[in-house]
Amino acid sequence: MSTLLTHIAISDGKIKRSSLEVLSHCKQLAENNGHAAEAVIIDADASNYVDQVKSYGAEKIYTMEDPIFKNHMNTPLLKAFAKVMEEANPHVFAFASTESTKDILGALAANQDAAVLSDVSEFDLIDGGISAKRPVMAAKILSSTEAHDDQILVSVRSGSYDLVENETDAEVVNIDFSFDESELQATLREIIGASGDKIDLSEAETIVAAGRGAKDEEGQNLINELADVLGAGIGASRALTEAGIMDPSLQIGQTGKVVSPQLYIAIGISGAIQHVAGMANSKVIVAINKDPDAPIFEIADYGIVGDLYKVLPPFIEELKKIRN
Amino acid sequence: MKFYVCIKQVPDVNAPIQIKEGQLIQDTNRMILNAYDASAVEEALVLKEAHGGEVEVVSVGPDKVTETIRKALAMGADKAVHIQTSGDAEYDSATYATILAKFFEDKEYDVISCGKQSQDTDAGLAGSMLAEKLNLPYATNAVGLEMDSDKLVVKRQGDSGQEIIGLPSPCLVTCSNDMNDPRIPSLKGIMQSKRKPMETIELSSLGIDESELSPKTKVTGYQEKPGREPGQKFEGEPEEMAQQVAKLLDEEANVI
Ligand SMILES: Cc1cc2nc3c(=O)[nH]c(=O)nc-3n(C[C@H](O)[C@H](O)[C@H](O)COP(=O)(O)OP(=O)(O)OC[C@H]3O[C@@H](n4cnc5c(N)ncnc54)[C@H](O)[C@@H]3O)c2cc1C
Ligand SMILES: Nc1ncnc2c1ncn2[C@@H]1O[C@H](COP(=O)(O)O)[C@@H](O)[C@H]1O
Repeated sequence: MSTLLTHIAISDGKIKRSSLEVLSHCKQLAENNGHAAEAVIIDADASNYVDQVKSYGAEKIYTMEDPIFKNHMNTPLLKAFAKVMEEANPHVFAFASTESTKDILGALAANQDAAVLSDVSEFDLIDGGISAKRPVMAAKILSSTEAHDDQILVSVRSGSYDLVENETDAEVVNIDFSFDESELQATLREIIGASGDKIDLSEAETIVAAGRGAKDEEGQNLINELADVLGAGIGASRALTEAGIMDPSLQIGQTGKVVSPQLYIAIGISGAIQHVAGMANSKVIVAINKDPDAPIFEIADYGIVGDLYKVLPPFIEELKKIRN
Repeated sequence: MKFYVCIKQVPDVNAPIQIKEGQLIQDTNRMILNAYDASAVEEALVLKEAHGGEVEVVSVGPDKVTETIRKALAMGADKAVHIQTSGDAEYDSATYATILAKFFEDKEYDVISCGKQSQDTDAGLAGSMLAEKLNLPYATNAVGLEMDSDKLVVKRQGDSGQEIIGLPSPCLVTCSNDMNDPRIPSLKGIMQSKRKPMETIELSSLGIDESELSPKTKVTGYQEKPGREPGQKFEGEPEEMAQQVAKLLDEEANVI
């Protein structure tokens, strides 16, 4: 029997849904193959999240608590993860593919001399390792990839697996952690625009995304209004984040975030492959674009060919009526 | 300031691709400088122009990668190192990081700059692997770089906010293409690039036997993504289309 360990990511005082998706999948793999599904929470208040993790099937939950984990810093995190790996000795250590994960995954693999596959959209156990599918070439195609090693790190794109509740009476193990801040070479000077009540795009049910076609103030107002009516998160194409019109954290796509909402409304976005790379897994896609040949229409379930400034006002009114 | 920028030659993702019996068929003539590495080169040049110093680019790959190295030299990098592989095998990030770490072992520098990921594989691993192997403080996904006396100040895009991190030299940073718009080489730059020094290094001189490199991960094949079919397309009066689609979203798609 070996161990499948899932990292539970905490962001803004909440467990990231994507890490529970990964845990749900690991639990399934563990049950099918007679392995153990375990989880680890590394946070300033790690123990607060234990109960929620229990309901997704972890048989053992490691916690590591220290004030240093309040903000993301790669040096203490690496040290923490290395210690967890020594303690739990996982065959597979699975992560949700968040920015924090991306920051340390390669370094952790190098530190532990472990094999690593990043940003997979599915993975399975095979003899002596794992097999995985990875979107490549700006997510135009999938590669089948294998990793063979005693210890394998894998990070999973958000929205790849469904949440499966599976209440388990888990054993909780606290791992001591101490970190001498004078060891820190890198210093965190400031955090800008850390979200308060902003909607986490990687978890949003509905996303309204704006592109170059909606770059002026009137366009932005319409986008905000539509998002308000739908309770949606707002995303953007690179054209708008690059121009400084939208916050860089809102970029969706290859450079930006990968999202998988129930409803994605692309407004004034052409549908470049690098944008589509981040949103093609949305359940329902609506596109509003004045160019009937825009590539976004090739993947849209509902395509509206028209000027967004003319289409959005009545669209917002109709949706208001439905929502009331 | 001595900058090393690690640059990778990658296939152009905009070129048409085909999959035959699980193998990827692509136009090997359409190889480009990884977009994220182009941003890393650009930013190193900007800092050099402001504070002085030298920008040297390093690329690991078969002889073909020298075209990409020339591009970086034409942008303005001062010199280059080509670490030669046979090109018979495609390596994973860990293997490239191992080779690069060997190269950097006895080098002196202030900053090693990488791309945040390869544009073709989106792995995003080699940078932080290299930092760990060289025991350097590092930051990934940088969207801005500045010098503040002797520190490199990195603005990185985190999960929700942007983190401002001070790194002492020597350090490593991986760059996003959100950082800048890489310059297009001028004609003069292209002419000059032909006379700039490019050193070729064989793996054996780094103490590496290529036949013994055994990556822990390998690609076994490629396949099409389960595609999305285009759905219904509406053209006509804005009010009418708005009403129709709102109704369908509510009653057919059930997502309102
Ligand atoms: C390595 C790399 C990574 C990248 N990563 C990303 C990424 O993460 N995310 C991303 O988005 N891009 C990314 N890009 C950039 C991408 O290639 C495109 O340049 C970008 O997505 C274009 O944004 P856009 O669709 O808003 O703009 P455009 O392509 O200019 O499209 C604007 C659209 O708006 C329509 N329009 C204009 N006016 C109106 C109107 N009044 N009403 C209706 N429609 C209108 C036009 O018909 C057009 O289709 C990346 C590129 C590279 C090379
Ligand atoms: N063969 C290579 N030669 C030089 N640099 C490389 C090579 N492979 C990867 N890198 C660097 O590592 C970064 C991330 O690579 P990857 O892990 O492949 O996404 C790239 O953007 C480059 O800066």
